[in-house]
Amino acid sequence: MRFPLSISDISLWLAVTAVILLTASELLSSSTDVVIEKKGLRLVALALGIGFMITVIVRVFQPI
Amino acid sequence: MEDMCSGRTEETEDETVESTTTQYPMETIKQLQAEAENSGSELRKARHISSWKIGIVFAVPGALSLIFAILNDSQSLAFIGLGLTFWGALFFFVRPIRYVKSSLLDSTAMSLYSTIDRIVKDLKYKGTLASYYIPPYPKDVYLPEHLRGLKDMIVFISADRNADMPSIVEVAESKFLFENPRGICVAPPGLGLLIQFEKELRIDITRLELSELCESLPPLLLENFQLAKEIEMKTEKNQVHLKIVDSIYKNLYSREENLKSIHFLGCPLVSAMACAIAKTTGKLVKIHRDRISPDGQTIEVWCRFTEG
Repeated sequence: MRFPLSISDISLWLAVTAVILLTASELLSSSTDVVIEKKGLRLVALALGIGFMITVIVRVFQPI
Repeated sequence: MEDMCSGRTEETEDETVESTTTQYPMETIKQLQAEAENSGSELRKARHISSWKIGIVFAVPGALSLIFAILNDSQSLAFIGLGLTFWGALFFFVRPIRYVKSSLLDSTAMSLYSTIDRIVKDLKYKGTLASYYIPPYPKDVYLPEHLRGLKDMIVFISADRNADMPSIVEVAESKFLFENPRGICVAPPGLGLLIQFEKELRIDITRLELSELCESLPPLLLENFQLAKEIEMKTEKNQVHLKIVDSIYKNLYSREENLKSIHFLGCPLVSAMACAIAKTTGKLVKIHRDRISPDGQTIEVWCRFTEG
């Protein structure tokens, strides 16, 4: 019993999700009609982007 | 006797009719108010729950999918699980903010200006009035107990445009009515807004230079508070020119409201900016003049510094 995703899978998932969220937060920043916490959305997107960078660094130092 | 009795009975009948006619609408009003309150609270509940419900709908299958992925060693289930759990968590985290209609803001500010108009009218101040935003002493400066009132931001509405300022002792006493020079001291209408700006933006305006304030305040107000569509703040010789396009307080300047104090005090947004200028420069700031575009969309205000 092990987690079925490798570090490269997680890296890909993080990258795709971060791109989606960053694009969404950029598009929403100018809109006043959508009432959500835009700062929170941007923070999550940035956190995912940083997560992706960490996986990249891990793969640089430990190539599989 | 019979006449008197019949007279009394008529009176009592009239009273009962009157009381029933007044009671009925009162009861209806109360009932309607209760219904409105109930529907309002239900609406709030529905709005509040919705993001949580969506979060649960995403997060629970996501977690289950992750567990099955680990048990069955399935990659696709793991991707699905990760995605669902993440979006579920995002719905918990990025919840809708409670917004109010902008028209409510100016209607709440209206009473303050009407009150000041009434006070000024009652005190029989004639001619052109002027308001002076008096900068407060910084919070970290020690002042003796009898001068603590100097730490409050106030605006002095002078009955005479070219009159002197009240003495420091009188200002420190937190007096309202002044005889020499004639005028009144009130809290600026935009003080609450300014405190909110400082709190949310985590900046101490007293530490900024005027040029820094003119550069940094308008974009911060637009991006964080959306109080207008466009704000310009330019320093000119001995004054600051403010240009606000499509302010949420623009209705206060309309002719239908006919508020006089709005022109010498400024709307809450202008007042907050005047307070910020006074705090930054440490000088008295007077709303020298204002100009409203014919369509009411653009408000231009000139704030002049004067030495105290």
